[in-house]
Amino acid sequence: MGKSAPASIPPTDPDTGGGPAGSTEEGTAPDPDADPRTESADAGSPRAALELSGVTKHFPLRRRNTVALDGVDLTVEQGEFVSLLGPSGCGKSTVLRLLAGLEEPTTGRVRVHDRPPAALVNDHRLGIAFQQHALLPWASIADNVALPFRVAGRPVDRARVTELLRLTGLEEFAEARPRQLSGGMRQRAAIARALALNPEVLLLDEPFGSLDAVTRRRLNFELARIWSEQRITTLLVTHDVEEAVLLANRVVVLTGRPGRVRHVEHIDLPRPRGGRLTREPRFHEVVDRLTALLDGDLASRAGADEGATAQTGRRWLRRRGR
Amino acid sequence: MRTVRDSRVQTALLVAVGAVLALAAMEAIGRFQLLGRGWPPLSQVLDILHTPATRTLLGRSLRTTADEAGLGLLIGALVSVVVAVLGTVLPVLQAGLDRLAAVLNAVPLIALGPLLIATVGREGSPAVIAALAVGFVMFVSTTSGLEAASTAHRDVLAALGASRTTTLLRLRLPAAVPMVLDGLTQAAPAAVLGAIVGEWFGAPSGLGLLLVSAMQNYQTELLWAAGLAAALLAIVSYAVLGTVRSLMAWRFR
Repeated sequence: MGKSAPASIPPTDPDTGGGPAGSTEEGTAPDPDADPRTESADAGSPRAALELSGVTKHFPLRRRNTVALDGVDLTVEQGEFVSLLGPSGCGKSTVLRLLAGLEEPTTGRVRVHDRPPAALVNDHRLGIAFQQHALLPWASIADNVALPFRVAGRPVDRARVTELLRLTGLEEFAEARPRQLSGGMRQRAAIARALALNPEVLLLDEPFGSLDAVTRRRLNFELARIWSEQRITTLLVTHDVEEAVLLANRVVVLTGRPGRVRHVEHIDLPRPRGGRLTREPRFHEVVDRLTALLDGDLASRAGADEGATAQTGRRWLRRRGR
Repeated sequence: MRTVRDSRVQTALLVAVGAVLALAAMEAIGRFQLLGRGWPPLSQVLDILHTPATRTLLGRSLRTTADEAGLGLLIGALVSVVVAVLGTVLPVLQAGLDRLAAVLNAVPLIALGPLLIATVGREGSPAVIAALAVGFVMFVSTTSGLEAASTAHRDVLAALGASRTTTLLRLRLPAAVPMVLDGLTQAAPAAVLGAIVGEWFGAPSGLGLLLVSAMQNYQTELLWAAGLAAALLAIVSYAVLGTVRSLMAWRFR
């Protein structure tokens, strides 16, 4: 594991406005233990696995800049499941893409295990699944699940592939092609692929977004079960409040255009979480509160109040009108 | 299912009716001398096939041209695919390669003939011209095929930490297969045309040579027979590669 990370830590980056306490000290005297799973000694709390500090992201769009994220601070602790909830177009997928090293922040800092996101990616320690299953159509389900081994240049661990297929209920379909499977099965295969190399971090971008409500619910229960067994640090991006609450230790609500963190909700519901929990009042209480937050966000954007939001709104409308 | 089959039957019937009408028109125009003595009736053209010597001559010429066209298609396709992949692996080269391909495509093949005779010789030039004729189509189809993989696929590969080479081998090349097959289907008749043009400049045998000699010796029926054989070769090559495409391409989509 490369120890190049300290070189790029703060002093050179004054914009971040106070990173985590003690990071500078860590920078000058790197932790001799290279294993990112070890909890740092100085902080009593679990170490942040994923960390965004003061992250802004602009996208150029027809000679105009779209602000996708505006000063987002977010941490996901080791072994934590965080749901990132927000209306569509609020930049929540951008957060995930930043963490996967697929985008660079315009300003601010993105760290994964205190290293740049690319470091984890290059070690093949990141698992990812999108709304589009993105399975290779020419490969069997088993080969698709084995893809991360091949990408990492490692011999395919057939036992691990079989285990994952069993875990996701796809054992009988090992030799099938993705096109022969239902949408739900394809998403399960995509998640099995994401888990193949026992990743340290799992990023899920609305993995069940294209499924019907019944299938989606069932897969949520399955994901909750799989996560309870493995406790991988997970960030789930979703616009489905029930899904977010059911799966997460913490739900982070983003506002849209530009994306900012609006609210953080700790979910203390007991695990394992199953169908019964979703019928309990305490579950609905949380879901209703977060739904109201999202509704409120929409209302404030639709209402023509003359505050700062109106300007954003006008900008948005002008963009739409072109 | 029934409707699909019905529409296929309908298409096949229409094709058959069209072909019969075209052949009948050929026959009629020749028989009634509607377009002068240069257009013999089809039956008269087919009659010369009864002469064993002519049959052997036509067969041998067809064989030569088919071989040259096939060889040209193979070389042209291989070189183009390699060059297109090179442009993807080394993006610095991409713009230059695109322009080079466009310039090569703009040069009329006829103009290259004498040059090739002087460099690769009479026997080699038909295959080389056939290769040049397919090169551009194959280059363009491969280049766009290599870009055909979806963004989600690329993102997954990138997030799994795939190198450029791994992405090429595991994603971009397989994803390019349908378009490369499309390109081959389009390129096959062009290869036949290229081979015949190449033979025009004095190859020792082939349909092109047969066309030239029949024309100069006023052997109208033989000229037509050679022309029909060339057309048949182009159609068959298109049909064969089209079948290969429809058998294979779906696996990669």
